[in-house]
Amino acid sequence: MTAQFQISLAGSEATYACDEGDTLLRAGLRQGLGLAYECNVGACGSCKFDLLEGEVDDLFPDAPGLRPKERERGKRLACQCVPTSNCTIKIRSGAEYASAIRPRRFAARFTGCVSVTPDMSIFSFSADTPAEFLAGQYAMLEIPGVGQPRAYSMSNLGNRDGNWEFIIRRVPGGRVTNYLFDTLRPGDEITIDGPYGVAYLRRDIPRRIVGIAGGSGLAPVISIMKDSATLTTTQGTPVMLFGGRTSKDIPDVSKLLEGSGARIEFHPIVSAPDADAGANWSGDTGFVHEFIERKLSGPLSDCEFYLAGPPPMIESVVRLLVADHKVPASQIHFDRFF
Amino acid sequence: MAFLPLCKTDEVESGSSLRVEPDSLPPLAVFNLDGEFFVIHDTCTHGDASLCDGEIEDGEVECPWHNAKFCIKTGKALTFPAVEAQKTYLTRVVDGHVGIEV
Repeated sequence: MTAQFQISLAGSEATYACDEGDTLLRAGLRQGLGLAYECNVGACGSCKFDLLEGEVDDLFPDAPGLRPKERERGKRLACQCVPTSNCTIKIRSGAEYASAIRPRRFAARFTGCVSVTPDMSIFSFSADTPAEFLAGQYAMLEIPGVGQPRAYSMSNLGNRDGNWEFIIRRVPGGRVTNYLFDTLRPGDEITIDGPYGVAYLRRDIPRRIVGIAGGSGLAPVISIMKDSATLTTTQGTPVMLFGGRTSKDIPDVSKLLEGSGARIEFHPIVSAPDADAGANWSGDTGFVHEFIERKLSGPLSDCEFYLAGPPPMIESVVRLLVADHKVPASQIHFDRFF
Repeated sequence: MAFLPLCKTDEVESGSSLRVEPDSLPPLAVFNLDGEFFVIHDTCTHGDASLCDGEIEDGEVECPWHNAKFCIKTGKALTFPAVEAQKTYLTRVVDGHVGIEV
């Protein structure tokens, strides 16, 4: 029987149970509490908290999400702390962080993978219960004995069959991704913990959907594009921009969307066409953010943006949208893994 | 332009800030940097945090929510995720009161 600790939230009556070994953040989210967070991996700092009473173990004392000064002042990250006693914590919260679908940890079997680009593949896992998540969310994958849990976004849609699909990019020298690509065999069991993420598709907002992705940011944007086919309220055709290094890094998006009924405008942009010996790229070249104005007609502030990809891409896009086009920050969604 | 007093000079210690909520203006942050006073909007342009809850260092204030940094003197957004400057006000000290020209 796993030990449980009671966690009290300062400034409110709320308390929640946290299993021994579970992080303060995820235990609270499992109970439906809107504790502030974004990345779950210690990078963004959104879940910083003050420990007013009790003791915790910090799983990642060097996590970049906190400045040294903040640590000196006693701040910790809720996504990296497990309780060793009952605790009272002071942490930011908001309704936007409480997911309609409470995250759970469960076993899942690897069922296969399909290549999408030379370094990205779709990895499929099957669980015994229906797969419940919103388009654009992510889950933590725990590979037994291999590194820390990693966050990957789902590329499919919630379903009754218990299928969870992720588009994962092989990271040179990366322990977990190389294990997934080279060692994992169909039937192998992993643990999935999810769903998490605040950059999910807002189904009730009628603005034109614009998905902007680079690299493995492909997964959440594909999921959102698939889900767009089931909306009745959206105005205009969803638009997707994808940035890759060479033409080989551009996925076959119509194939990925096959069967979903989604009709979208897809604009691939290649940043280093000359690095691609033998291929003739006749399409757009440059960086994704350079094409947003060219590919979208009408005021950008009439659109709802979903971004996923390398931090410099997200920064450039956000700067353009907010500073140049006055798009409200509330209309731009991305999970900040930095 | 009229002078609107916001607080007394001794209500804001050097190296700290004070949040003030005058009528018909959004919440303001009064900063004291080595005896010089600066007034900018208190609500971060990126989210809803109060900059008065943030750390002040080297003439910059760091928003407590996402760690975006702003220049106190010019209001300029210095680091992501903030990309828009905080509005600044012409600040003066009159008769021991810090205030702005509105």
